[in-house]
Amino acid sequence: MRTLSATLLAAQRQASRLPYVRLETFDRVAGVARLHFQRLYTGSEPDYFHAATMPGDGSLVRSRLDPVTYTLYLQRVASPGPGADFSAWTSAGTSSAGAGLALCSQGANVLLFYVGVDQHTVYCRESTDYGATFSTATALIVALDPVTWMAAAISPSVVVGLFYVSGATIWVTLRTGGTWGSPGVWPHSLNALSGLAVAYSGDWDLALAGQDTSGYRKVWTCIYGDGGAEPVGTWSALREIARASAGSQVSFRATSLASADVFRLFFVEKYAGTQSYQRPQWSHSLASASFEDNLWREPVPFDLDADYGVALVAGEDYAWLCCPSGVWRAPRASASQELTADLLRAVAETYSDAGRLRVELRNDDGRYNGVGSDALRLGSELALGLGYYTSAGAEVSSGPSYWVESLEHWSGEGVARLVIHASDGWGLLGQWRARHQYRWAVGEASVLALLRSVFARAGLEVVALAPSTTLATFAPAFTIHPGESGVEAARRLLVLAPDVLYFRGHQAYLKVPSDSDPSDYVYGTVHPLLAGRYRSGDGPANRLQVYGAGVMAEHFSWDSIDQLQDRLRQVHDMNLTTLAQVQDRAQTEGTGDARLASGGEIVVPVNCGQELHDVVEVTDPVAGLSAARRRVTGLHVEYSATGQPVYRHRLALGGV
Amino acid sequence: MELKRGILKSFDAGTYKATIQVAGSLSVWLEGVAVARNIPAGEMVPERACALVFFDPGNPQDGVVIAVYT
Repeated sequence: MRTLSATLLAAQRQASRLPYVRLETFDRVAGVARLHFQRLYTGSEPDYFHAATMPGDGSLVRSRLDPVTYTLYLQRVASPGPGADFSAWTSAGTSSAGAGLALCSQGANVLLFYVGVDQHTVYCRESTDYGATFSTATALIVALDPVTWMAAAISPSVVVGLFYVSGATIWVTLRTGGTWGSPGVWPHSLNALSGLAVAYSGDWDLALAGQDTSGYRKVWTCIYGDGGAEPVGTWSALREIARASAGSQVSFRATSLASADVFRLFFVEKYAGTQSYQRPQWSHSLASASFEDNLWREPVPFDLDADYGVALVAGEDYAWLCCPSGVWRAPRASASQELTADLLRAVAETYSDAGRLRVELRNDDGRYNGVGSDALRLGSELALGLGYYTSAGAEVSSGPSYWVESLEHWSGEGVARLVIHASDGWGLLGQWRARHQYRWAVGEASVLALLRSVFARAGLEVVALAPSTTLATFAPAFTIHPGESGVEAARRLLVLAPDVLYFRGHQAYLKVPSDSDPSDYVYGTVHPLLAGRYRSGDGPANRLQVYGAGVMAEHFSWDSIDQLQDRLRQVHDMNLTTLAQVQDRAQTEGTGDARLASGGEIVVPVNCGQELHDVVEVTDPVAGLSAARRRVTGLHVEYSATGQPVYRHRLALGGV
Repeated sequence: MELKRGILKSFDAGTYKATIQVAGSLSVWLEGVAVARNIPAGEMVPERACALVFFDPGNPQDGVVIAVYT
């Protein structure tokens, strides 16, 4: 149960209560602003290597290479925006026929890196006036193998990091205090590299594409340490974001990475089969995940056909996307809107694998006739806070977040309302569908890590403060078939461990229920009880047999068997290979079945902090209950400020 | 139990296991799927369609190729 202030706790227990329900909408998903890119420029420049950066004055500096003449072009737009001229380019000499470019900036300094016609020499040109003029070229490095992709960034301590691909190897050289250090090579081995990007955020955070030594095409992240997540000068392991099997004709290339509110990533997915395509995909890290966590929302297609992808730039107010023939921008801040004053009715339902919200807003003056383009639009995040007017003023406790699934305008018979239908994190998870086969081998990832991966694909974070041993250590072979939803995958994972899941805000929390859990709240004594219904019955089974690979264990509910004969349920899981594992599963599933033996519901004045899986004590002398312990298995809250005012909770109950 | 359609991509007659492109998965194939021993190795020709049974839909090791056709 969420912790409530003493004043809110006192208010919700009073015989006379004045409800306060707060509703806000945000143009974000799970705490991350949604970027809505608007195209500002469409030109005819050919697709080839390119780069972009935004110095401290807000100008946009771009460079590109012509694929026929290999002429290097530069462009600086002093005030980028609608109506600006993005078509004027200045020749800056001739470059390598097959090598990328890199641009980076900080304050007034802009650095351009390119490769000479010999394909081995890396040159640098520097500007100290926001890219208005550049120095003559300086040769930095002569690489052993031809240089293909490059990326550069500047740290807050003004160290310039240049990363470049030479052969199938990544090299790094740092400029500290104006002096370039000797190039260093990474420790990894790949067949090929086809994209490289870097952003600085405590370390040098890289996104790269290529082919591993097994033939898989992949997109990875990797960290070159600067004392953040990795020690200075060390390389992390490669962490996979996307993969394609050898022979599938799918490959990845042209990565671009920026660190803004979260990490934003673009890369090109290229398919060489029938109906071939080369399409940028974009993704972002989760709201509070670190780069090291490598938790990314499912990459989705961007409406562009480009072999060399886009260059992503995080400006002060806008995120910018550039390719030679295009410029886009999107506001970085997420719009928000307070809806509280217009709220007429709200109904929220929360269950163990689903949650829905329906709200009705007044629209008698047509104030919501134009919705759908700002903070309130399809997919927007809704924050519902349940509360009361207390001695300290209006107070709320915020529950799970919801995301808008549909907007419905009602009119007629004196009614004009906007009805919003939304779902909680389970809805986001249900909308995510596996677009290819996902597979983890035995021992590769724990159930917790698998849950985190699946939820991340829907943009959701999983918090496990005290996970069960099974959740944290059991690492089964697991697959998600193409077309299956995240809900199906999550359900399969959650039955493997005793932990239960509930949402608080946009995060999924896991906890292990135990019959010795202390009671979170008391009804029927200090908190009024309006109505109750209590059922004693039997769960789906009172005898459970779990069969693994050559091992079997049973769980019995003897009292129930004594009364009802045995009701058998069998579980088969070939991932269970030891007696301890089948016993653990039998205990988990048997206890879960036993919890379903008790049922019922109570109706109470809204408890602002009540959550799923809380343990409550119910005292209802009329039904013969005195401090009876039950677990909350569902919540239904209804608020209505029209007609007969309503503000109550209906709590579905199960065994502890 | 779940029945899936797939395309055979490769077959190892030694382990009697196959790599299968499960329908709907353009880019990633499922490797190491057991093949029914009653299917002759000579019939395991790449690009043939196949049928897979997953006794446990979440466990890729608990499945078997039960038919190849075309």
